[in-house]
Amino acid sequence: MVRGFTRSAAVLSAAAVVAAGCTGGADGAAGPAPTELRLAIGGESEEGYDPTLGWGRYGAPLFQSTLLTRDADLGIANDLATNHSVSSDGLVWTVDIRTDAEFTDGTPLTARDVAYTFTTAARSGGLTDVTALKEAVAVDDDTVELRLTAPQSTFVNRLVSLGIVPQHAHGPDYARKPVGSGPFVLEQWDEGQQLIVRRNDGYYGAKPAFERVVFVFTGEDATLAAARSGQVDVAALPSSLAGSPVPGMELVRVTSVDNRGIMFPYAPDTGRKSAAGHPIGNAVTSDKAVRQAVNAALDRRALVDGVLAGFGSPATGPVDGLPWHEPASAVPDNDPDRARQLLESAGWTDADGDGTRERGGVRAEFTLLYPAGDSLRQGLALAVADMLEPVGVAVTAKGESWEVIRTRMHADAVLFGWGSHDPTEMFNLHHSALAGTELWNPGFYASAEVDAHLDAAMAATDPEQATAHWKAAQHDGRGNGFGPAADAAWAWLVNLEHTYFVDSCLDVGEPGVEPHGHGWPITSGIVGWRWKC
Amino acid sequence: MSSGMRWDRRGKTLVMLALSVLVVAAVVIAGAVAEEAARTTALAERNGPPSVAHWFGTDWLGRDVLARVLAGLRLSLVVGTSAAVVSAVIALVLACAATVGGPRVDAAVGWLVDLFLALPHLVLLVLLAFALGGGTQAVVIAVAVTHWPTLTRVLRGQARQVVGSDYVAVAAQLGRGRWWIAREHVARHLVGHFLVGTVLLFPHAILHEAALSFLGLGVDPAEPSIGVLLAESMRFLSAGAWWLAVLPGACLLLVVKAVDGIGENLRALLDPRSHHR
Amino acid sequence: MLTALAKRLGRLALLLAAVAVASFALMVNSPVDPVAAYVGGDVAALGPQQRALIVERWGLDDPAPQRFLTWLGNLVRGDFGHSLTFNRPVLEVIGDKFLTSLALMALAWLLSGLLGFALGVVAGVRQGRAADRVITWWAYTLASAPTFWVGLLLLYVFAVSLNWAPVCCAVPIGVPAAEVGPLDRLHHLALPAITLSVVGVAPVVLHTRQAVVATMASDHVAFARAQGDRGLGLVLHRVVRNAAAPALLLQFGSLGELFGGSVLAEQVFSYPGLGAATTTAALGQDVPLLLGIALFTTVLVYAGNAIGDRVHAVVDPRADHRRWR
Repeated sequence: MVRGFTRSAAVLSAAAVVAAGCTGGADGAAGPAPTELRLAIGGESEEGYDPTLGWGRYGAPLFQSTLLTRDADLGIANDLATNHSVSSDGLVWTVDIRTDAEFTDGTPLTARDVAYTFTTAARSGGLTDVTALKEAVAVDDDTVELRLTAPQSTFVNRLVSLGIVPQHAHGPDYARKPVGSGPFVLEQWDEGQQLIVRRNDGYYGAKPAFERVVFVFTGEDATLAAARSGQVDVAALPSSLAGSPVPGMELVRVTSVDNRGIMFPYAPDTGRKSAAGHPIGNAVTSDKAVRQAVNAALDRRALVDGVLAGFGSPATGPVDGLPWHEPASAVPDNDPDRARQLLESAGWTDADGDGTRERGGVRAEFTLLYPAGDSLRQGLALAVADMLEPVGVAVTAKGESWEVIRTRMHADAVLFGWGSHDPTEMFNLHHSALAGTELWNPGFYASAEVDAHLDAAMAATDPEQATAHWKAAQHDGRGNGFGPAADAAWAWLVNLEHTYFVDSCLDVGEPGVEPHGHGWPITSGIVGWRWKC
Repeated sequence: MSSGMRWDRRGKTLVMLALSVLVVAAVVIAGAVAEEAARTTALAERNGPPSVAHWFGTDWLGRDVLARVLAGLRLSLVVGTSAAVVSAVIALVLACAATVGGPRVDAAVGWLVDLFLALPHLVLLVLLAFALGGGTQAVVIAVAVTHWPTLTRVLRGQARQVVGSDYVAVAAQLGRGRWWIAREHVARHLVGHFLVGTVLLFPHAILHEAALSFLGLGVDPAEPSIGVLLAESMRFLSAGAWWLAVLPGACLLLVVKAVDGIGENLRALLDPRSHHR
Repeated sequence: MLTALAKRLGRLALLLAAVAVASFALMVNSPVDPVAAYVGGDVAALGPQQRALIVERWGLDDPAPQRFLTWLGNLVRGDFGHSLTFNRPVLEVIGDKFLTSLALMALAWLLSGLLGFALGVVAGVRQGRAADRVITWWAYTLASAPTFWVGLLLLYVFAVSLNWAPVCCAVPIGVPAAEVGPLDRLHHLALPAITLSVVGVAPVVLHTRQAVVATMASDHVAFARAQGDRGLGLVLHRVVRNAAAPALLLQFGSLGELFGGSVLAEQVFSYPGLGAATTTAALGQDVPLLLGIALFTTVLVYAGNAIGDRVHAVVDPRADHRRWR
């Protein structure tokens, strides 16, 4: 169990905003509080509600229940499981499950259902990756063994996110007629419009305070309109629309690791090509001094205030605010003088006086790619270019399609966005063995020390030990690490705040740090939500 | 007296034509000038309603909407021109081929026309844009290669009339070859219809480009285009930013009407017998 | 009669085959990676092995000709394949979504037909007068306006500002399907249907006007006038029937345009019909669904033209001699 994690101040302020709510039932909400909750938080799963295809990977799976769960502090807690242990070689996860859980069709949930779910998910081409599983075996009615192909401490996240499906009722139409053991039952799904769910009164856990919950799948604009006309109780809106108040609703700002950062090509430009034939390396960003100078020169606070309209926080790494974040990996920013000094001492000078430094005939310039159509990243990229000009580094911001970015990302800097509760992401982004795989480690970052820590964290069977290694990979205190204080493989820019308008009478508790993806994650605490007036 | 009236009408047509051309030319030039301003962000001036400094207001990145509209209209006209020209040339070639190439070619052309008209035009555009991977280039191609079928039909019909006429029969009797007839009689007769048809393809092409971009299947979202502007405006409609939607659409309407005006007035000039409009 | 029908069906089959081959060729050549579109923001969490599983599930690893043959073989047996974005059979998706669109398209079709015809008759009868000029100008302006822009204006005025109409969807929020009444549906249909009718109204107005003007100048109206027919009676008895034929032909022939318009209108009003599904399919790289929609709309357009021809022949017996082709 992970402990000793200090919640960031922003989460506390979010809670304060919620607590300050309750303006009283001025709009004639006399009598008992409505037992229906309406949410406009987007994120319709067009594929349906089958966990083995990825349903529930964000937030709660609603209809199904999971073996483990995360509390608001991101600590691990039991749900269907009563206990779990990992063998000393890290290959076998043994999970004991509770015996009082029932599917909504009345059949009891057994270890066989768990084994079936994991086996099916491991083989299905959906949006959840359980390929690390070799086999899942029900040892008896309430014990299941999950055997892996290699030790993987992050496999715990599959236990947290994979909703258990009933073996006897899992067929081709399951995604549209889900049967599970979760807190809610699907009542009606108007595809493209809304999902209506009913409380499962046979649920074994704490029961939700609402008899029905309606999820409305509206676009941003319609969501705002629905919130304004009082048709929904919770509305997820982008920060660009969160500026003006909505009557009867409070703005709840939830901290997230939904981050944006600049990935630098780490390898020098030697004419090397990737397996797919794309060029690798960049003569400018392969210099540590340039990467560190960029990290030092940027004014992240200004990015937050300007581009995010204040709804966010400066980012120092890919896992800010998570239990495995290493604060020592950060460096002070908004320090152009230090940036100039770093560049000078590395030999980058502006001899020809054109405002851009050069070294040995190479100009200190690089292209910063962002996905065209992402206005937020566009704003960030343009602002970054403006901030780096005074220190003599010329950045060209350019919007491209993902297809183009994939061909250029080993040689040009790219503005990426990540953020997950699963440290596998950190592993994927920085391990040298994954250079050039998918969108992972596109810059071909390579550090033997970092690789060693990442491998050790992955192989660890003790969560505390894993966390220690995850931290050391960012900064080990001896000058190694991918964080800005050492190798500065990336220049992380901002973490978004996810903005929700919430009915003044609704208490949504203290939402935890949310991953990449605005909307569904807030449902992870839905069982604890209450009307307060 | 009657000749004086005809001149009046002719003069009026000429004035209208000149005006329409002027509007289109002004848009092209202004669009080129505004290209830079259309991309410049000013985060301090986000979401501003129309004002003296920004006649059409600003968007959520503080960009000047008027500059974006002008740049977008220019793009519309570029797409419209290329699409109209390519489609008209395809139509002319196919119509001539169908006329002089014998019954087999005629049947093949008719079949091709039927195939292209079998699907709703927008669905065909979506399929093409998808197949070409999206983006500005894909839209230009998709719009360009789908607007010829109706014009082909018109031109083929006209060409048949010519071929069926007495003077072509005479020419054939005098021993003139098929291609000579095609060139000297058919093509000449078709020039007027061709010109007018080309100009009248324009508005369709412009509106289709805007529609594809609006759906997110067209021009890169980073490019200023009327379709992209209107798609973006949808996000801010409930927030009250009416200027983002109303003004770009109204400008597009004006430009389409101007181009339409060119076509109609041209038709009136070239073919005075046809009904006005 | 039967042979004519068989001929028509044969022609349709041939057309469908051509559309199928051409569309498939287009789809296969798309440079966009459907797996990347499906994975989207989850790319960090899914490894190469999982990607291989997705490719396998969708049968993308087979060579294109083989995929085409498989697809064609299934098609002949009535299996249109499996939609990737909606995770269900393509035919089911199209059936469901088209039913939703049908209400919208039918209402818009009636609206544009009736309104267009009425205005066209008025303009034709009052040719050259103020009413004619206003109506003609209005029709030409509508023809130049982007459908979706008109939709945005209506949305802003009636849904956002006046709050008379809902901003989205086909049914009210949170109401079980059994309790949704026809009035609720109409409430949600009204704005999209009006928007969509804008597409069709202008051509109907202009063609009807043309036909009315021609009829008014014809001998048989002059004859009726000489016999003492005047005013409304003359228009109703002598003109309307003659002018109805082109309007009907046009309305049935414009089903393709109507569908195209519904793609846009459904996008503006978040109306979950087949039009919106077309956009979703294209953005989500859902090739099976796109192919299904291409074939379905081909049938739709063909049926519209065929019905239009029949109706035209019934209303206007001279039609057979005046066929375009």
